[in-house]
Amino acid sequence: MELNFVLNGQPLTLTEVDEKTTLLQLLRDRLGLTGTKRGCDTGVCGACSVLVDGRLVKSCRTSPSQVAGHEVTTIEGLHGPDGGLSDLQTAFLEYGAVQCGFCTPGMVIAAEALLRRNPHPTRAEIRRGIAGNICRCTGYQQIVDAIEAAAARRQAPGGENE
Amino acid sequence: MSNLRYVGHEEVRSVDGRARVTGEAKYVCDMTFPGLLYAKVLRSPLPHARILTLDVTPALAVPGVAAAITQADFVEHGNFGWPVKDNYVLAYQKVRYQGEAIAVVAAETEAAAQAGMEAIYLELAALPVVGDMQAALDADAPRIPPASVETDGNLGETIILRHGDPAPLLASSPVVIETSYDLRHQEHAYLETEGTLALPEPDGGVTLFANNQSPFINRDTVAAVLGLPPQQVRSIQPHIGGTFGGKDDVLYESSAQVAKLALLTGRPVRLIFTRAESLAASYKRQAMRVHLRLGADEHGNLQAAQVKMLVDSGAYASMTPMAAWRATMHAAGAYRYQAVHVDTQVLYTNNGYSGAFRGFGNTQAAAAVELAIDELAERLHRDPLEFRLQNCLRQGDRTMTGNLVAHEVGLAACLEWVRKKSEWEHQRTRYASQPADAPRRRGIGVACYFHGCGLGGEGTDFAVSTLKIERDYSITLTSGLTDFGQGSRTVFTLLAAEELGVEMSRIRMLRPDTRTAIDSGPTVASRASIVGGNAVHVTAAKLAQQLRLAAADLCACDPAQLVHIGEQYVGPQEEPHSFEEVVDHARALGLQLAAEGRWEIPAVEWDLETGTGTPYFAYVFGAQVAEVEFNRRTGRTKVTGIWAAHDGGTILYPQGARGQLYGGIAQGLGYALMEGYLFEDGVPQRTDLRTYRVPRATDVPEIEGTFIETRLREGGPYGAKNLAEPVMVGAAPAIANALFQATGERVRRLPIVPRPRSRE
Repeated sequence: MELNFVLNGQPLTLTEVDEKTTLLQLLRDRLGLTGTKRGCDTGVCGACSVLVDGRLVKSCRTSPSQVAGHEVTTIEGLHGPDGGLSDLQTAFLEYGAVQCGFCTPGMVIAAEALLRRNPHPTRAEIRRGIAGNICRCTGYQQIVDAIEAAAARRQAPGGENE
Repeated sequence: MSNLRYVGHEEVRSVDGRARVTGEAKYVCDMTFPGLLYAKVLRSPLPHARILTLDVTPALAVPGVAAAITQADFVEHGNFGWPVKDNYVLAYQKVRYQGEAIAVVAAETEAAAQAGMEAIYLELAALPVVGDMQAALDADAPRIPPASVETDGNLGETIILRHGDPAPLLASSPVVIETSYDLRHQEHAYLETEGTLALPEPDGGVTLFANNQSPFINRDTVAAVLGLPPQQVRSIQPHIGGTFGGKDDVLYESSAQVAKLALLTGRPVRLIFTRAESLAASYKRQAMRVHLRLGADEHGNLQAAQVKMLVDSGAYASMTPMAAWRATMHAAGAYRYQAVHVDTQVLYTNNGYSGAFRGFGNTQAAAAVELAIDELAERLHRDPLEFRLQNCLRQGDRTMTGNLVAHEVGLAACLEWVRKKSEWEHQRTRYASQPADAPRRRGIGVACYFHGCGLGGEGTDFAVSTLKIERDYSITLTSGLTDFGQGSRTVFTLLAAEELGVEMSRIRMLRPDTRTAIDSGPTVASRASIVGGNAVHVTAAKLAQQLRLAAADLCACDPAQLVHIGEQYVGPQEEPHSFEEVVDHARALGLQLAAEGRWEIPAVEWDLETGTGTPYFAYVFGAQVAEVEFNRRTGRTKVTGIWAAHDGGTILYPQGARGQLYGGIAQGLGYALMEGYLFEDGVPQRTDLRTYRVPRATDVPEIEGTFIETRLREGGPYGAKNLAEPVMVGAAPAIANALFQATGERVRRLPIVPRPRSRE
């Protein structure tokens, strides 16, 4: 099939897309966007998280046709206003929220989806917001710290949501 | 400490973080090369069987299949294993666990590899399954290990500890408890599954990208089964998505398999496990059955302990004998005793196979003894935290193995810290007065631990590091020890920068590679920061010495007169010389700006025959308090608070250390409440991450943690001890002891099985 969608801000037309593949396979194997990780194939771990029209989606449970005409954002598509790291990526580094890093792209995406939905999350709401994403290294605390800090900065004078 | 620029500084950040938050970091599964072939493994559907027929020729007829291999393609049928050579890179004659690799296919696409794998003709004859440790000891139990391995039937190893004679002391102790604990298997569940990629080399050798922990053992194992000299096998670690002890033997097998396929086809071959494969084929934390007898006098002073342990190695030994040894050395906990005996038996069964996992035997040992100590305190009508404070090790005491602890001991300080922060007395009293039939009941519990530093009596404990100043004034650092997420690359970089007096950004640490780094043994036992860190420290000191010589020559002064300000060297004339100037001058003087340094842990000796000796040169200590809420209707337990204090000596990289503490506690929480990798007659009952649940952000409470920084006279760099593994061992027993206050029932099995109580 032919597939039209917007990927990381760029309109894209792909031909001969196998409908039996997943969005995850399409991103990784055909488009070489390996920042989106494959952790379980059953939609349980969240390593494959991407945004579809700004909403959190597990790409291993999404078929290519489901994103036809929609806007897909992967970790490669997240960046700050200057083209550098996004505020969440910076906060993840600052707060030590990264250990092995395999969950990190999906976790950053989940955090982005959360802050778009709820710009003032409590720590408990942050935990619920990332509950679909497994991190086996950090015990989550520094991830929650990072997301909390990024949310506060978006609300601060000069922040994104001022 | 104030004159240190990086050691112990809050501002130090992970050197690998940036590539990981952007998704640019390449893990094995992200790597691809022209002409790549995909490998797929045929695995045993039975836990114990004889292989009657195995024919891979039907696979070769499948379109797209390039090659297929079995044990016959390897030297000595691919026999490998360390310390016990009882395993095969592909099954030989028998399969001993469900999920064991039998044959591998390489093909143009994953689909063709799958079709090829399914076309292999395999005929198995089922053998009786040994699914229980007690049954493994029966005289008529079927023998599991190969005949080439010397064992007493399925009894692989017996380990003893003899310190004094506990029998008369227990006989005369007014309070003695005797309890047994059943600790089940745990799966590492690293988020990145096992992966290897092999590239054939023009010299007939092979380069491997593998996400294993110990590249040198990987290189040597692969070389041996392929019949190649070790220098023709190169093993490189890309970024690794977590290991926790779990990525050794299973990766040696896969590395050997893809290396052989790459050599046969002359093409790159990649093997990435699915999650289901990872769960079925990887080794686990060993199940243990622990039987304890503890005695105390009427004043609550611990007298003696007798411990018996059965350790389920599963189908192969892997590192289980060493983990069982460590369990034995910690079996009676971090307390003073007059006498302790431990008798440990390591058994072969058909329950998968077991090996290294964070805590390495002490996770199980500490869980058992901390539950027993709690029960003993109750029998003595003593507060469990107070009882621990009365009996816990302090500087100058003798450990349960009879060894004097000469260095500072922060255990009592850890217990005092968690007592204060958790408001222990207040909460204990409050929860003691809850109505018995309240729908949700709370409880608070404590556990403490000690953990021997480094490998101890498990083996020679050394590391080698190199440093070289490049033409662009950057500094290249290598270590034979590796980083799989725990942060040792950041620790090594900060230690080199500290000693050399340069910015951390000047140092580029190469990825672990057997071609560029020097063999330093396995990266296990939380030894990277201590042993590898000291090697870096020693190496940097050698290089710094050369730079000081050059700077002194530039300043026309004695090296002792030099002052280091930022990266600049300043002599008595107060003329500053930049790092670049000093390096240029050193080269002009003919100095070689490269250094290599080695460091070895102070030697200790343990006599396996008599069960006596010195197991470790130093110990770390810690205490944790957990608060839980038990739901009587669902039978489920929620952890609502954790307070944790760890004495790991000097903390080199505080942000990373806290990450280890929180992460270790989360894994301990999983071990207590949800993570049983259960077998029924050798058949695994949890086959995906839906049924094998690991803690999520909503399962883990806010954790309040601290480090008690005691001093160590000799040991790790700047007095650092270890922390990555031991921080895990306190959580499960603290949670289980808290649950006792909530339910009034003692936990005898981990993970705890939820049991609703509403109809009682």
